[in-house]
Amino acid sequence: MVEVSQRPVESSIRADQVVYKGKTGQWAFVTHRVTGFLVFMFLLLHIVDVSLVNIDADLYNEVHELYGHIVLRLFEVGLLFALVFHALNGLRIVVLDFFPGAIAKERTMTVIVVVVTILAVVPGGYIIIRPWLEGTF
Amino acid sequence: MAVTADPPTAERSTPVRPGRGRRPKQNVETWTWFFMRVSGLILIFLSLAHFAITHIVNDVVDTNASFVAERWDNPLWRLFDWTLLALALGHGLNGVRWSIDDYITSKARRAAVKALVYGTSGVLFAYGTITILTYG
Repeated sequence: MVEVSQRPVESSIRADQVVYKGKTGQWAFVTHRVTGFLVFMFLLLHIVDVSLVNIDADLYNEVHELYGHIVLRLFEVGLLFALVFHALNGLRIVVLDFFPGAIAKERTMTVIVVVVTILAVVPGGYIIIRPWLEGTF
Repeated sequence: MAVTADPPTAERSTPVRPGRGRRPKQNVETWTWFFMRVSGLILIFLSLAHFAITHIVNDVVDTNASFVAERWDNPLWRLFDWTLLALALGHGLNGVRWSIDDYITSKARRAAVKALVYGTSGVLFAYGTITILTYG
């Protein structure tokens, strides 16, 4: 709650009474961090699993088959979501950095990022889990 | 002796407007900010193309050892994969560094976590680079 008084604006706001209620921008920020961190963690794992190909091709194939399991397929759909959201939201950040006036359209831009992400992840995710749905894997 | 000349007095006395003043001093963080923007833009294409090839165009179970052998037969794909590795790791590492600076306030813990993250990333970058270079 912000205290209203006759004093100048600067001194009328007390830090302990103000709760930052960020809206779309704050949620975009949080999601950007979380998706970025998860993709980074996957990248570290991915370097290890791909490098197995250099040690033993059969071992690589054995480990690699795990990616076809439905649990990991769902994980891959999550990875697709993280990648697409992070990419599009990153574009939004670049636009805001280089065209400061665009901040007036911040909410619209976040909505576009979310909508386009969903439009990409739903068909993409379907393609990823289709082999499981059809029972071929 | 000043390297850059001060603007004329008349210009200096005008109110400062955002983005219109003298060019601020650049430091390391200016360049990490710029690196994040540039690498991010390149990674949009590299990472989404890589994901599309390995999960959408091909099914993930078909990207086995013989798929890798065929792909890395072409040095341009090795260059593609190494560029993706280097930029993604650099971009991710800097993002993690920013997060560490934001959320870990204890100096000792910050140093310990950074040592762990930088060390792991450095080793895996070298390992991935060796894999791409020496395969086949």
